[in-house]
Amino acid sequence: MASAGETLLALGGKRTTGQSIRTQNAMAAMAIANVVKSSLGPLGLDKMMVDDVGDVTVTNDGATILKLLEVEHPAGKVLVDLAQLQDEEVGDGTTSVAIIAAELLKAANELVQQKLHPTTVINGYRFACKEAVRFIQENLALSTDDLDRTSIIKAAKTTMSSKLISTDSDFFAEMCVEATNLIKVTDASGKATFPIKAINVLKAHGKSSRESMLIRGYALNCTRASEAMPRKIAGAKIACLDFSLQKSKMHLGISVVVEDPSKLEAIRREEMEITKRRIEKILKAGANVILTTGGIDDLCLKQFVEAGALAVRRAKKVDLKRIAKATGATLTSSLATLEGDDEQFDPSLLGQADEVVQERISDEELVLIKGPKARTAASIILRGANDVMLDEMERSLHDALCVVRRVLESKKLVVGGGAVEAALNVYLDNFATTLPSREQLAVAEFANALLVIPKTLASNAAKDSTQLVAKLRAFHYKSQTEKENSHLKWAGLDLENGNIRDNKEAGILEPMISKVKCLKFATEAAITILRIDDLIKLDKVEKQQHDDECM
Amino acid sequence: MLRGGMPGSAPIIVLSQNTKRESGHRVQLMNINAAKTIADVIRTSLGPRAMLKMLMDPMGGIVLTNDGNAILREITVKHPAAKSMIEIARTQDEETGDGTTSVIVLAGEIMAEAEQFLDQNIHPTIIIQAYRMALEDMIEWAEKKFSKPVDVKNETQLATVVKSCLATKMLANYMDLAVKIALDAVRTIDVTKHGYHEIDIKRYCRMEKIPGGSIEDSSVVKGVVLNKDIVHPKMRRRIEKPRVILLDCQLEYKKGESQTSIEIMKEEDFSRALEQEEATIRKQCDEIIALKPDLVFTEKGISDLAQHFLVKAGITALRRLKKTDNNRLARVTGARIAHDTTDLTEEDVGTLTDLFEIKKIGDEYFAFVTSEKTTAVTVVIRGPSKDIMNEVERNIQDAVNCVRNVLLNPRVVPGAGALEMALAHALNEKSKSIEGVRQWPYKAVARALEVIPRTLIQNCGGSTIRQLTALRAKHAQNADKNWTWGIDGVTGELNEVKDPDASKSWFSWAKTDMNTLNIWDPLAVRIQVLKTAIETSVMLLRIDDIVSGTKKKDANSEAVMPE
Repeated sequence: MASAGETLLALGGKRTTGQSIRTQNAMAAMAIANVVKSSLGPLGLDKMMVDDVGDVTVTNDGATILKLLEVEHPAGKVLVDLAQLQDEEVGDGTTSVAIIAAELLKAANELVQQKLHPTTVINGYRFACKEAVRFIQENLALSTDDLDRTSIIKAAKTTMSSKLISTDSDFFAEMCVEATNLIKVTDASGKATFPIKAINVLKAHGKSSRESMLIRGYALNCTRASEAMPRKIAGAKIACLDFSLQKSKMHLGISVVVEDPSKLEAIRREEMEITKRRIEKILKAGANVILTTGGIDDLCLKQFVEAGALAVRRAKKVDLKRIAKATGATLTSSLATLEGDDEQFDPSLLGQADEVVQERISDEELVLIKGPKARTAASIILRGANDVMLDEMERSLHDALCVVRRVLESKKLVVGGGAVEAALNVYLDNFATTLPSREQLAVAEFANALLVIPKTLASNAAKDSTQLVAKLRAFHYKSQTEKENSHLKWAGLDLENGNIRDNKEAGILEPMISKVKCLKFATEAAITILRIDDLIKLDKVEKQQHDDECM
Repeated sequence: MLRGGMPGSAPIIVLSQNTKRESGHRVQLMNINAAKTIADVIRTSLGPRAMLKMLMDPMGGIVLTNDGNAILREITVKHPAAKSMIEIARTQDEETGDGTTSVIVLAGEIMAEAEQFLDQNIHPTIIIQAYRMALEDMIEWAEKKFSKPVDVKNETQLATVVKSCLATKMLANYMDLAVKIALDAVRTIDVTKHGYHEIDIKRYCRMEKIPGGSIEDSSVVKGVVLNKDIVHPKMRRRIEKPRVILLDCQLEYKKGESQTSIEIMKEEDFSRALEQEEATIRKQCDEIIALKPDLVFTEKGISDLAQHFLVKAGITALRRLKKTDNNRLARVTGARIAHDTTDLTEEDVGTLTDLFEIKKIGDEYFAFVTSEKTTAVTVVIRGPSKDIMNEVERNIQDAVNCVRNVLLNPRVVPGAGALEMALAHALNEKSKSIEGVRQWPYKAVARALEVIPRTLIQNCGGSTIRQLTALRAKHAQNADKNWTWGIDGVTGELNEVKDPDASKSWFSWAKTDMNTLNIWDPLAVRIQVLKTAIETSVMLLRIDDIVSGTKKKDANSEAVMPE
């Protein structure tokens, strides 16, 4: 069992050093990458994850797959975190980032075995990464400031092509672009941002995915508190409350002691009256839609019903915050005023919307806030055969929304389908030969590692990857050496037919930022793991004792 | 479990030891098998010759049903793909309330058809694309070519649809009754207000099961039936045109929410405190009596003292209602639910009720609050045993949903496997024009659709191959004219689905013309079956890897890795 680099420590842990740990790390990374490999690309397939309770998740998203895997190896964990990081930063490309990082590690391990010092490899990788990013930005980016709608839709479609909803990608891409445009916010400096989280995605099973819909407004997964309330209110004035409209009571442990029995009844009455007065104030301010995170006593419902107002109780606070933003309302947590003498509800705290209506969708009822005044809002209601499917649809849609946002923000696109990777490979290969130092080897390996993306794409599509990739490289070599053939730099894989085609024409577009971040993150992660030359794993129990002694 | 290793050293453990992983072709076959297994469980519950299943739950209770969803709900399965299959029955039930068996059988068959292509190494995404194409075409054809509008005002036509829905159920023996119940119930709760067409079965159509009597005694009550007796024996048990007050507060003394304690110094204070409690109740009762109601319902309790006051005023009172019942009563009586007696006004009193009556049925008392013009309805189900009544309830639920579907989307398609056969034929024709490998899976959908007529024949013991080929030939001979030909699920013979003669009532018509079938299903149900079945199989076919024993989403076990 014990190999040269593995010695038993006195502490009762295990220590692995030198080449042995590097190989181990590279192996672990490859193993992780292999798990997600088959989900890359338009012909990639999904994974079904079953947890210990038996809950099922079906997904194609690299980050989700890795998150659900119980990875034990420390190097493997770095890769899992890497995918998570990419998910948070860009939202898409999580699978590719893990695959590239693993490939880089594998290549580095081989170089080190050839007695190249890890720091040299690291330097080479850094150098190559920088050069690659520069090349993308200068030569491969489609800087289209006047980004027309079609190319944004194309980018969204590219993301979705690998997902469950690929056959309906036209439909969903339209929806994503529409939704993202609806939530556009221009900040003080005139820069437009798109807070994707503001899009409320609701899931209701039934019907088919085609019947998912975009609602220009906010959909709240609640029903009105009483049947007697109106179903629809036009010209709504919305109050967002963060407290309960229930009989007020003293905090626990406070007891009111009275001597006169008649006071007891007075206390009882007052409990009710306090809330009633509050509601009266809110209604007097002109509110006809009241949303609260707390409860509403049945006792008080009558007041709302009589005023013809629509009240919703137990709404989620996040929802209310967003509604408040969209309608211009202020989420009020108490009616107390600064003067402190009396409670007030100022009409300026109210938000406005064209219409608030309760609608039945499938078996559920939703309250829809349409046409909010302050800002446009968007909600997407997903339909599908079952919950597992809806969850995956939500993840796919989230990826697509992120991509649309990135495109709208950075306004730069690159061509997908392995085109960028192949171009970089050719470029870096040539670039490496100009380097007189040892880094040359590392840069060349970096270039080769990138080819893993087109290779995996081709092999997932059950195509001859070796031949296709060779062909693809030839195209890119031509484009970089011969001026008149420079249009060939858009050449990418056509996985349906197993050919090379102009992917710019075919509309396979990805946001540039996704590719750049992907390269940067993968390089960083590879470097982090590469720097390790010693792994000390302590036994759990021993460690605890050790800690106690030390501290 | 993943292991990598290099020669001469220990294997490197990357994933947790208790993770199991299966991938590739095996997984696809496993998923298909799971789907097929589930479909096989309920295959015999399809069609008019369907048999019931008896299911025993761990508690020893039994469920007796042939409703696909009800069967699968009780089955515990382990395989993740089988779980998704079970879920689609639920989806179908929630969305349309009917067609739960068909959706499972069809989904199972579509999955099974995919197996041969996977064996031939056709990429799943190609199969999926073809399935999707087929789905789109089918929906278009079903909506445009193979359906006809139905006149929602025509009782005969509606009855036909309900009859088709019920023919497969236990209630088939009480067809006339069940059809009448379903139609009456839905007609009553069908309201249009604020331009919003509402048929809210969940809230306003309730089933009240009363053991005893026979199934024929079941009826529709226009109003509310409550399993409650009056609180005081002296109260009136039958009131015509009562004035009704609905309350949501107790008529008894209740302490406040805050913790209060009273320190009594003098003797008289003690009696004062008691008197005060009495006075509170008296005040509440006086406020009610002032409005001269005949009936008082409350969701909370009524104390003995309050009962006394109410009896003296000649008011009948019922206590501890469910919130939902109270809402329905509000709709029947026109009263507004009051939450406090102090602000009761004349408008809160409901006067729309025709009759209030307490009846003793079997061993229990039931309160009937009825009104001719009401929009809330209760279906009283009678039957010899609880299990049978449960099944009757499910059947009526299906029938009621069926009526709702037709009213909301007034188009019907021929049942008895005719629609499936017509679609299968159309798909077959179209498949010839499809280029590339996709043609085969596209055609496979057509074959999968034939499972519905095939199962119909099988379940009644007909000659599957002979009848199915005959039916296929019939559709092929003249697709435009013969699209209504289907399988008579009782005899297993070929038959044409025809319109009932509108001039005759349905029941007399059925007796005179036995040679044609009269089975029409709501379009909404059949389309939902197609959509759900195809979408689920698409999802399951995309899977090439099953990892089980993964951690829960949020629980992140921290790494022990000191520097």
